[in-house]
Amino acid sequence: MARKCDPVTTEVIRNQVQSIVEEMAIALMKSAYSTNIKERRDLSAAVFDARGRTVVQGEHLPLHLGSMLGLVEHIRNRYPEDRICPGDIFISNDPYRGGGSHLPDVAMAAPVFREGRLVLFVGNIAHHADIGGASPGSMAGNMTEVYQEGLRLPPIKIFERGSLIEDVFELILLNVRVPEERRGDYAAQFASLRLGVRRTLELYEKWGEQTIAAALDEILDATERHVRRSIARLPDGEYLFEDFMDDDGFGNQDIPIRVKIAVQGEEIVFDFTGSAPQVKGNINISWSGLQATVAYALKCLVGPDIPSNEGFYRPVRIVAPHGTIVNCAAPGATAGRAQTCQRVVDVIIGALAPALPERAIGASNGSNTSATFYGRNPANGEYYVYIETYGGGSGGRAFKDGKDGVQVHITNTSNLPIEGLETEYPLFVEDYSLVPDSCGSGKYRGGLGLRRDVRILGHTCDFSSQGDRFRRRPWGIFGGGPGRTGRMILRQGQPDQVELPSKTSGVEIRPGEVIRIQTPGAGGYGPARERDPELVRKDLREGKISPERARADYGVSVD
Amino acid sequence: MKYRLGIDVGGTFTDIFLMSEDASRLAVHKVASTPADPSCAIAEGIEAILRAEGIAPTDVSYLAHGTTVATNAIIEQRGGKVGLLTTAGFRDLLEIGRQTRPRLYDLQLDYPAPLVPRDLRIEVEERLYHDGSVARPLCVDGVRAAARKLRKENVDAVAICFLYSFVNPAHEAAAKEIVLEEMPGCNVSVSHEVLPEFREYERLSTTVLNAFLMSVMNRYLEHFGRDVVRLGIKASPKVNQCNGGIMSVDAARRLPIRTVLSGPSAGVVGALFVAGAAGCRDVITFDMGGTSTDVCLIRNGTAAVSNERWVGGYPARLPSVDVNAVGAGGGSVAWIDLDGLLKVGPRSAGAVPGPACYGLGGQLATVTDANVALGRMNPEFLLGGRMRISQSASERVLASLGKRMGLGPIETALGVLRIVVARMVKAIRAVSIERGHDPKECTLVAFGGAGPLHAVSVARELEIAQVIVPPHPGILCAMGLLVADARNDYVKTRLTMLNGAGSADLEGEFQELEESARRWLAAEGFAPHLQRLSRMLDMRYARQNFELSVPVPAGSLTSDTVEWIARRFHEEHERNYGHFNEREPIQVVNFRVKAEGLTQKPHPETTFETGGGLTRSAAASRKVWFEAADPLHTPVLNRRELRCGERFAGPAIIEQMDSTTLIPPGDTAEVDKFGNVLIGLGRR
Repeated sequence: MARKCDPVTTEVIRNQVQSIVEEMAIALMKSAYSTNIKERRDLSAAVFDARGRTVVQGEHLPLHLGSMLGLVEHIRNRYPEDRICPGDIFISNDPYRGGGSHLPDVAMAAPVFREGRLVLFVGNIAHHADIGGASPGSMAGNMTEVYQEGLRLPPIKIFERGSLIEDVFELILLNVRVPEERRGDYAAQFASLRLGVRRTLELYEKWGEQTIAAALDEILDATERHVRRSIARLPDGEYLFEDFMDDDGFGNQDIPIRVKIAVQGEEIVFDFTGSAPQVKGNINISWSGLQATVAYALKCLVGPDIPSNEGFYRPVRIVAPHGTIVNCAAPGATAGRAQTCQRVVDVIIGALAPALPERAIGASNGSNTSATFYGRNPANGEYYVYIETYGGGSGGRAFKDGKDGVQVHITNTSNLPIEGLETEYPLFVEDYSLVPDSCGSGKYRGGLGLRRDVRILGHTCDFSSQGDRFRRRPWGIFGGGPGRTGRMILRQGQPDQVELPSKTSGVEIRPGEVIRIQTPGAGGYGPARERDPELVRKDLREGKISPERARADYGVSVD
Repeated sequence: MKYRLGIDVGGTFTDIFLMSEDASRLAVHKVASTPADPSCAIAEGIEAILRAEGIAPTDVSYLAHGTTVATNAIIEQRGGKVGLLTTAGFRDLLEIGRQTRPRLYDLQLDYPAPLVPRDLRIEVEERLYHDGSVARPLCVDGVRAAARKLRKENVDAVAICFLYSFVNPAHEAAAKEIVLEEMPGCNVSVSHEVLPEFREYERLSTTVLNAFLMSVMNRYLEHFGRDVVRLGIKASPKVNQCNGGIMSVDAARRLPIRTVLSGPSAGVVGALFVAGAAGCRDVITFDMGGTSTDVCLIRNGTAAVSNERWVGGYPARLPSVDVNAVGAGGGSVAWIDLDGLLKVGPRSAGAVPGPACYGLGGQLATVTDANVALGRMNPEFLLGGRMRISQSASERVLASLGKRMGLGPIETALGVLRIVVARMVKAIRAVSIERGHDPKECTLVAFGGAGPLHAVSVARELEIAQVIVPPHPGILCAMGLLVADARNDYVKTRLTMLNGAGSADLEGEFQELEESARRWLAAEGFAPHLQRLSRMLDMRYARQNFELSVPVPAGSLTSDTVEWIARRFHEEHERNYGHFNEREPIQVVNFRVKAEGLTQKPHPETTFETGGGLTRSAAASRKVWFEAADPLHTPVLNRRELRCGERFAGPAIIEQMDSTTLIPPGDTAEVDKFGNVLIGLGRR
């Protein structure tokens, strides 16, 4: 294969583009208002070539990769090149018309022009605390159509030739909750894009158009080579696995997610045929969400350092019939797609475990447990929306235990400091801890789930949530035991406490009441009887497992 | 005559730098470090340098040292056994942290295990609301029972961290008293004393790290203090901190966390001193060593400060010189990834086997090999002739690396250096351009063994016009210790609106901090005229989550000052993030006071003869490649023979014991009256 740009220049330019992407992401994160963006880093930035291929993407949240992949393509479908002008900014969030994966992820892109020619796009994406719709936070579990989930934006202009299109902006702000805060988030995204445009132009000044174009091509080819060589290391063959979602929040239970993976030489096919038809609830995955999820799992297993760009997908083929839960059709609801994405990762790891016994891990907490609190703060009379996502156990590994209480797979958002959230919202955290015995047993046990008890202060709060693995436990591998399920309890500790389902919406919590959110643990790796008794005793000493568990699963008795 | 000693303890060598009070006399001594007890090498080095220079120990008026004891104890997990008291319901916070994993796509990598096991993390009944009012009173019996349990466990230190102690420290203070009653003389690390700032996990982590280090630091400082006394030195020794200031031994015992990552800060202080004397106030420091490189931005004579640091995988929040480290240095290995692109570092060949040219069995091409192959480094000897090297070994490994990319050895060597430079440039951009500061307006101060060799290439990429190479680039850190001021940072978190609070209210907060600062400075022995206090406010737009620091002018705060501060904040926001909003209310988060005790500084005067100069024909020369085409015959100068005022044009190479300076063709060099080599970059 003839090289378009020498390997040294390519690496130097790749470094420089990466710098730009990182700078865009940091500027966005640090000046944003939504807690999702500012504290939990639910954002990404990327540079695309003129054809819309993602060349360099910041590694912030794996799920955004898919949205970035489709973004420019969708813009170009709507706008002929002569209607794309310097100073334009496009905005989009729709899973069906804009390459998005759920509505709160608002993506933007700006074209970069040089001497009148379109040469690049820069883009960013951020999870806004609200995008309107039936439920505060736009993430609640009871929605059945994308129309209920919030404002749908196909790729449209929000800036034209450097000027904000006020009408569009006002329309958006009128449709979202706490608009003043959102205004700051959009401003942060605009500024990050303008920065990206400025920086990429400087790059052209330095290198000239031809060199940059050749280097960008070469960056994609290099990634392709990297992926191909990594796939080639897998034993050829077919690998199958199946798991089930608990439910979609509308009574559909045990929803199958099935994959058949075929490895042949340098290429790999992921075939999801046999997965359930799309469901009424909002846990459907759009095409871009599936692409991102498959890329995540493959990177984990074969090459964590492979860059995320268009070249990555060249030797990878994904088959998923339209209208299924893993490639849904409009107007399926997708706000809770992260739950299903987590399960897709589990089944891919489960399938490839025989091929990669040292890299595979037990099933992790398999959900992206999240809770939205909405109400009027009695201290200042203002409305607030507060979203938090909770980690859980991660699966037992070939050489060590799974991690306790951590974000897994397609999400890695941090928690909000308690001293921050209590200052901002009329809430009071009573307890934030690991859940003993929630781990699956094993030679290397799974990680523990998390528990948080939140008391509502001085007002009635509107609570909604999403989760999964409340019924179906995260499995172990190679003989490891399953972890415990998650649960949610209203009025925790009161005589009238109620167990809630994993997907709720509009639950009223009265002043002084406590809601408990408890996430699933994770599956173990290898037979429990092979566990080093010293490790069992350490878990006992630390109260991570009970004496009964030590005796029953490990045959270790307490003196 | 009195003398000052600066001691920089590194991983391999301990550098001793001696300077007379009038700076007329300088001496340097290097001894091998003694990691098991670093004070051994220090004592040996001091003794040797005093003997060699014929100086009586009683004539040592000042002794400052930088120690890596704390940093190493964390990295190697060799601290004390710690017990922890937390608010009920939160003992697992230390383990959960921010519930994230360190690398997105790595299923095997975790943050390191918590420094206190779960059974030594004890919950105590108590709770405050966010405004500091009491939700649940402190359960005194609970604290007592916990202390007894920890006493039975024989812990070396107790850490105490309760929610909102930065607003109201009463519960923590009471718990500390009880712990000390039950465990007299015990090391106690209390969060409101270590770091009275909001964000409970970072405060907790910092407090626990501090506790973890207390016993180790005590032991080390005892040895060190004994040695100093034994050597007959009367000066009370000082310890370097990560904020670039020094502190007393007593302070270091209570707050050992402040010595963590202090190494690079000494270099920055040294660079600041050198650049300041040469009249430069806007500087980028470029300290390139064997395995890593540190860069830092100095604006208007002040080094950038960061409050967020990571050490050994643990977050530590404390004001520190904002040094950006890159995992690439002279020993970094060049390799070809699965994608077919050339990469350099982070893997390093270390001292053994080292670069291929050392001939100690190294088979991998390093940055040093690239420099040797290109003739930029001496192709026969290193360390002023003490170590023989092999240029052909470098060429061989580069040729085999290049073959895989279809490049010859010279092209490959140039490629390796281009990638190293690209990584350095990226690191410098991160501390300058990405924070709204233009490196073009700065001078690059190059030091460390490999800094002066790559400085001009780095400067050119950033359009920096001037590079300064100090007389002793290899020991600038030790020199920085000699000129550092004493420093302590005071902070108080109070969330309030900038305009709502009223200037008198803000003034009150600052005065309270300044009182503590003055008490500390007095206790450290600084007379009022040697005390310098400066104020800062950390602020954000209401409901944002990251703060920007804005300096507050000296003197009583008035409503005019408040307006000025608001304007500065909008400017900083625009500079950092590209937008601002004047209508948005500004929220104050932290009040900060920086307290400096000014130490007496040497007056750098020339020790370099003026005039003279070498005739170029008399100088040695060798072939040096600057590009892949023909090499240039390049004069090789000896740094010791350079005279003040001398000017010459590139290409030229200046060699000295521990560093090599490269002046490419088209650039010019000049030796200033302090012995610095000033390189002016020609336009290309």
